[in-house]
Amino acid sequence: MKGKVLIGLFFCLAAVQIITPLAMIRGQEVVLKEGAPFKFKTAPVDPFDAFRGRYVALRLEQDTVPRPGGLFLSEGQTAYAVLGVDDQGFAVLTDVLTQRPAGVPYIQAKVNYCAADKIQLDLGIDRYYMGEKAAPVAERLAWQRLRRGVRDEQDTYAVVRVKDGRAVLEALYVAGRPIEDAVREELQKQT
Amino acid sequence: MSQKAVRWLYQQLPDLVAKGVLSQEAADKIKQHFGEIKETSRTSVILFFCGVVGAIFIGLGIILLLAHNWENLSRTTRALVSFAPLLLGQGLALGALLKRPASAAFKEASATFLSLMVAASIALVCQTYHIPGETGAFVITWMLLILPLVYLLEASLPAAIYLVGVTSWAGSHWNDPARMLLFWPLALAVVPHFIWAVRREIYTLRSTILSFAMICCFSVGAGFTLRNAFPDSWLVVLPATYAVFYLLASRPFDTATANWQRPWRVLGSLALFVHALLLTFRFAWKEMADFGLSEMGWEGAQGGAPVEYLITVALIGAAGALFLDTVRRRDTLASLFGALPFLAMGGYCLRGQPPVFTQAFFNAYLFVLSVSHILIGGRRSSLGTVNMGMLMLAVLIITRFFDSDIGFILKGLVFICVGVGFLLTNIWLARRPGGVR
Repeated sequence: MKGKVLIGLFFCLAAVQIITPLAMIRGQEVVLKEGAPFKFKTAPVDPFDAFRGRYVALRLEQDTVPRPGGLFLSEGQTAYAVLGVDDQGFAVLTDVLTQRPAGVPYIQAKVNYCAADKIQLDLGIDRYYMGEKAAPVAERLAWQRLRRGVRDEQDTYAVVRVKDGRAVLEALYVAGRPIEDAVREELQKQT
Repeated sequence: MSQKAVRWLYQQLPDLVAKGVLSQEAADKIKQHFGEIKETSRTSVILFFCGVVGAIFIGLGIILLLAHNWENLSRTTRALVSFAPLLLGQGLALGALLKRPASAAFKEASATFLSLMVAASIALVCQTYHIPGETGAFVITWMLLILPLVYLLEASLPAAIYLVGVTSWAGSHWNDPARMLLFWPLALAVVPHFIWAVRREIYTLRSTILSFAMICCFSVGAGFTLRNAFPDSWLVVLPATYAVFYLLASRPFDTATANWQRPWRVLGSLALFVHALLLTFRFAWKEMADFGLSEMGWEGAQGGAPVEYLITVALIGAAGALFLDTVRRRDTLASLFGALPFLAMGGYCLRGQPPVFTQAFFNAYLFVLSVSHILIGGRRSSLGTVNMGMLMLAVLIITRFFDSDIGFILKGLVFICVGVGFLLTNIWLARRPGGVR
């Protein structure tokens, strides 16, 4: 009897262990398939995560929004960043709200800090995983362009899909090309 | 008493009865007192060790293989692949439950492997979908998914992994004291398993590993989570935590024969000594003397939550109750160690005064503690206790000499004197009638 209960409980646990990553996958897939794409200008660096491998860490240029008069948000508080698009086609944060907006694209974010004139947000777009050899090359390519002062519509940017406040990183571009292509070419040059 | 010691005693009994040292009746009473020896063969211990170590290496190897990031595979393929390690781990754990429910080694190894595979699976999903890198969220999801394994497979290593995980999770919420307090219910969730493991057999490798994890994680967790109870709470909270561990292990049921079998006592005394030594330094008190309150580690006037006060009071209360019990049992050495939280409390009341008073007091405390070890160890002919006292005294003297503006010649001479003192004491003890223990 005890053995049967134990096996039953184990199957329940196994189901929860499977459902958890499954739910994560479903959540991401829905946003990738149905979300609106936005381009975020970014600067990458290349760190390492002991579990998840090497990735290109992203520092979004558009992560601050002018502080609306009378609004004070504390560090770590949930806020909603309303998205717009500038004349070059890149995403900009146009407003920050404490309630979910309706009818406009927005990202649910966390407040990093609230200054007198602006609010910096953590939009949850901070890493792009790549192969262990590719990530450092990707970072070098991106920084080479930044050092040269190249900054136009074809520069480093991330394409992010946004739906119902959730943002999922779809692709990373350097010099107008997917970073995987640029890295592949660079690795071929080295060999 | 450890099974090894009981086995030795039982081997001696027939000889002692034959030589008339013991009567057969007395020998029978001894056997009745200690009970039957649980036959844990060397093979089963090796099997346990190899099984667990093997599971850890294979598990970590799979995580590294996945961390390579197989970017040539499509997103769908990688999403599907992320379930492979999880299903493999679950299959092994189910096999252990169905086929080998009595094998502790198999259950421990498969539960450890499954614990690592849960991490591998979630990590691969995060990697495939570039899910933002909140390590705290990743760790707590992982920990909650492996906690039931501790009970379903009666496995202690996943419990140790869980404790380390929830402690690091609490640390990742350094700026969120309210959430950090969840450390306590989360960490206490493995205590029933620990009690079960210790009751089943106390002096085993797995009990020791779990004990080490508990001491380290609860101490670090207390440091993190109770730091806002009152300004500079670390001064009292940390020694109270160490004292609870140390004094619990000093109770009469402590019959271990080797130091590795008593991690609570060894680590507890070491931590209490290091804390007391820290309080002999000027920097520990200076900031409080200069500013009245130390800003470091305290969130200003907000103080802590009621639960935080409650846990702090419970912790200090437990240390107090155990200390009084130790004093009642007239265990001088344990009482001296156990007094530290309350002496630190006294020092805390004097904060804001010139540090020289409190510094001098804790120097005197460590001096009394080490000399007591030397004297009591000498009286009991216990070389280990004497050497422990000598070592504590030596560390105190050496620390003070580095701390103060004394010339190299005098420092050198003192070092030589300390070394000679060690040698002479050991020679004296070794030549005493009755020998040493």
